[in-house]
Amino acid sequence: MRKRNVGSAAAAIAVIAVAALSGCGSGEEDKVTEVEILQYKPEAAAYFDQVESAFNASHNDIRLTISSPNDASTIMRTRFIREDYPDIIGIGGDINYSYYVDAGILADMSDYEGLADISQSYVDILDALEIVPTDGTYGIPYAANAAGILYNQDLFEEHGWEIPETWTELLDLCGEIQADGIQPFYFGFRDVWTCLAPWNALAVGLTPSDTCQRVNAGETTFAQEYRETAEKCMKLLEYGPEDPFAYGYNDACTAFANGQSAMYPIGSYAVPQILSVNPDMNINSFVMPANENPEDNTLNSGVDLLFAVTEKCGNKEAAYEVISFLLEDENLQEYISAQNAISCKKGDFQLAPELEGMQTFIEAGKMADFQDHYYPSEMAADALIQTFLINKDVDGFLNDFDRRWQRYNRDIIRKVQEYNEEHGTDE
Amino acid sequence: MYKKRKTGINWPVTILLFIGLITVAFPLYMTIVIAFKQPSEMTNSIAGILSLPKSWSLDNFRQAMELTDFWRSLGNSLLVTISTVVLCIIIHSLMGFAVGRNKAHSKVYNLIYLFIVSGMFVPFAILMMPLAKQTAEMHLNNWVGVILLYVVFYMPMNLLLYTGYLVNIPVALEEAARVDGASTWRTFWKVIFPIMKPMHATVAVITALAVWNDVMTPLIIMSGKGQNTLPLAQLTFQTQFGTNYNLAFASYLLALVPIVLFYVICQKQIINGVVNGAVK
Amino acid sequence: MKKMNDSKRTYMLITIPILAMFVCFNTIPLIRGVIYSFTNFKGFGSYDFIGFRNYIDLFTDPRIGGSYLFTVKLAIVATILTNVISLILALGLNSKIRAKTFLRGAYFVPNVLGALVVGYIFQYFFTYILPEIGSALGIEALQGSMLSDSGTAWIAIVIVCAWQSIAMNTIIYISGLQTVPEDVYEAGGLDGATGWKKFRYLTFPLIIPFFSINMVLCVKNFLMVFDQIMAMTKGGPEQSTESISYLIYNNGLSGGSFGYQSANAVVFFIVIVAISVAQMTISSKKEEQL
Repeated sequence: MRKRNVGSAAAAIAVIAVAALSGCGSGEEDKVTEVEILQYKPEAAAYFDQVESAFNASHNDIRLTISSPNDASTIMRTRFIREDYPDIIGIGGDINYSYYVDAGILADMSDYEGLADISQSYVDILDALEIVPTDGTYGIPYAANAAGILYNQDLFEEHGWEIPETWTELLDLCGEIQADGIQPFYFGFRDVWTCLAPWNALAVGLTPSDTCQRVNAGETTFAQEYRETAEKCMKLLEYGPEDPFAYGYNDACTAFANGQSAMYPIGSYAVPQILSVNPDMNINSFVMPANENPEDNTLNSGVDLLFAVTEKCGNKEAAYEVISFLLEDENLQEYISAQNAISCKKGDFQLAPELEGMQTFIEAGKMADFQDHYYPSEMAADALIQTFLINKDVDGFLNDFDRRWQRYNRDIIRKVQEYNEEHGTDE
Repeated sequence: MYKKRKTGINWPVTILLFIGLITVAFPLYMTIVIAFKQPSEMTNSIAGILSLPKSWSLDNFRQAMELTDFWRSLGNSLLVTISTVVLCIIIHSLMGFAVGRNKAHSKVYNLIYLFIVSGMFVPFAILMMPLAKQTAEMHLNNWVGVILLYVVFYMPMNLLLYTGYLVNIPVALEEAARVDGASTWRTFWKVIFPIMKPMHATVAVITALAVWNDVMTPLIIMSGKGQNTLPLAQLTFQTQFGTNYNLAFASYLLALVPIVLFYVICQKQIINGVVNGAVK
Repeated sequence: MKKMNDSKRTYMLITIPILAMFVCFNTIPLIRGVIYSFTNFKGFGSYDFIGFRNYIDLFTDPRIGGSYLFTVKLAIVATILTNVISLILALGLNSKIRAKTFLRGAYFVPNVLGALVVGYIFQYFFTYILPEIGSALGIEALQGSMLSDSGTAWIAIVIVCAWQSIAMNTIIYISGLQTVPEDVYEAGGLDGATGWKKFRYLTFPLIIPFFSINMVLCVKNFLMVFDQIMAMTKGGPEQSTESISYLIYNNGLSGGSFGYQSANAVVFFIVIVAISVAQMTISSKKEEQL
């Protein structure tokens, strides 16, 4: 048949394509254990490449590959669906972690020795993320981030402004800054997710850290818990740009870097972007003073990167060895310096200068996780908050929040309540 | 008025087109200026963003090329795009011919036509997970799989284009060839395929562009194994909490050049093709 | 008689393998997706069949309703805008002009710029440049950012969508114009047909197939709008620009509602197929009339 000509032409092209594009196959050696890490922070790719070669240079029995692909979360999902699990995954401590624990993808790591060196606050934060409590530990916290208010240190020194410790002091400070002709805050609320930064920072101080679990257990509602957070979040708008919803995250970082505002309520993760615009800027930070009593203020800090061994991992011992290597002080210090992060391991680590104002809270372990780590992303809590900040309808917002929570968390709520019926709500 | 048009250059239209070009020139100007600037030159003021860069150093381009492993990524992109385009032109024009010549009188072919064209409206998101699984099961989680999927994804649109074009090609041309004793298969290659040249060029441009810019298919099919195409490599500039616009813009400008050149070449084919067709 | 058999067999031999390939990589995964729509699958892990719960939920979800309204509104306006402009542009680029290659190449550029670039530039335009122009001209409506007002954000998205897709539609119209033989104009010229009349009665009837193709492609592209939303507003402000595809991707693939959004995708698919089949039937009837 002539049809075959076309077919073979097509096949030929396909063959050429494969030959040219598929790389070399991997050689197999019996004694060497392969360990693969898939981690979700492409911005740290350089660090992980370096760790990979350092590890392989010093270990003959284990061959480590660390991939730091772009859009790793999509890649992880597609690999999970085809049951092609990496040995170790590096992800953030958010609701995806909860899902993965719940789906049985991650292995129990409570037998890992290095766990003792990890700061208890962060281990607790991960424990709390489990949908129903388990006895196991499914991730090793590696690095954390923190959110509060970043401020322009030079401007503060120049005008003699004091760091506020209570909500009233914060509002007074804002008034003082305005009186000096400077805009206190900048917001980039066009990028909806940035609405969560002040929201989380306020919520950790004003609501108990187990709010979401208690809502799932049917013990409370967000309408009861979040009113003050919502009102205070709205209050901050008065000290920002005229139309905060016109600007994006990038605009806000640029504006703050150029001295267009004295403060910016955002997380430590924004520091590199701000410094890229103004490398000479002196940035410092303080914990959101959400309360009238400074004792009640809490630092908003969560696990930004954790390592978890998957259930399908062939050699758990080898995986632990790799994790221990990553946790070596020298390596961890390098990571936190490069990423402006906070170490999750106990010990004397050099903190980034931008986080200096949060140091006492970090050292005291006086911190609580980002509440949005419990929000399912499809619920779009950030968009709800943006909507509320535009239309300023507190009651409507709180009702919507509760209603949507019930809709998107139906399966989780059912699971939690079944668990509670079996075990009793008191632990 | 008609006579004038036939002989001379139509200046009013030329001038209007140049004025309209401002809608393209302005964004392009911004892209170029930003591609040459340093992150520290980025501001939120209009004058600041439109001003010329402090220096016209090619450093951003060099860095962008390094970060994306430019030549290798470009090679991969070219290979995937060219293979897809060639396969699409062959397979889809054949399909367009078979379906287009029969759908008017055959219910089956009309149904096939509607069946395939409606495939255009399947939201890709619903196919993603099943395809990720299926391609892995079939050991097609590699470039072959990606190219194959492209051929399937663009089939509905290209079928629409080819059958649409076929309406304007008289059946008499084929019948004449058949009277001379040529088989249908031969008639297609000797008569119809060459006449469809302008449509081949159109299909080539549209398909090439879609493939050139696509991120999702290689991302989910290859799942980070294997080498990047240019758009995949360009994701490097965007992380969750920071974007280096200057390097990204430089990189996008570089990626723009081959596809615009390809388009200009294809445009010539669209015009020349018609001349050839008319001669026949 | 023998010839008929030859051609019938050839058509079949062409159609069957290609159709098989299509079924394998489009229809079968679609069916698998439809199956997921009856489950509470998150995209990983185990799942349960939950019957029609997802479908019932769709009709009580105000976000889904909102996304349909927004998407349809956007698709209608953008389709009209894009087709009118690209037809005019195609006629212009196809006439006897100077610098034809350059102009054709230049007008193609918007289609090639990546979403990151388009997003940045248009965000800048709507946030800083347009309000400034508005103030300079004293037009109050333009003095705020279009992107921060839920009443105007969709217009901004329409503008970006049209700006990007005009190039593609123009290409299709240009290739359509090539099929119009010169002698049609000559005959028309003798009758004294000029300008609008010439277009309406001579050119347009001949490019109707291309007009229908463009309509179908536009409606399809705009109903499935995603990139421009991601680049410009991410669904905001006040969730006024959440398109259907945006919800399907964001909640289904990045989020954990894969099953639910699969149901959304299935309903969406049926809706667009219905619209497009109707549209194609109407335009093919028109073609036959001519």
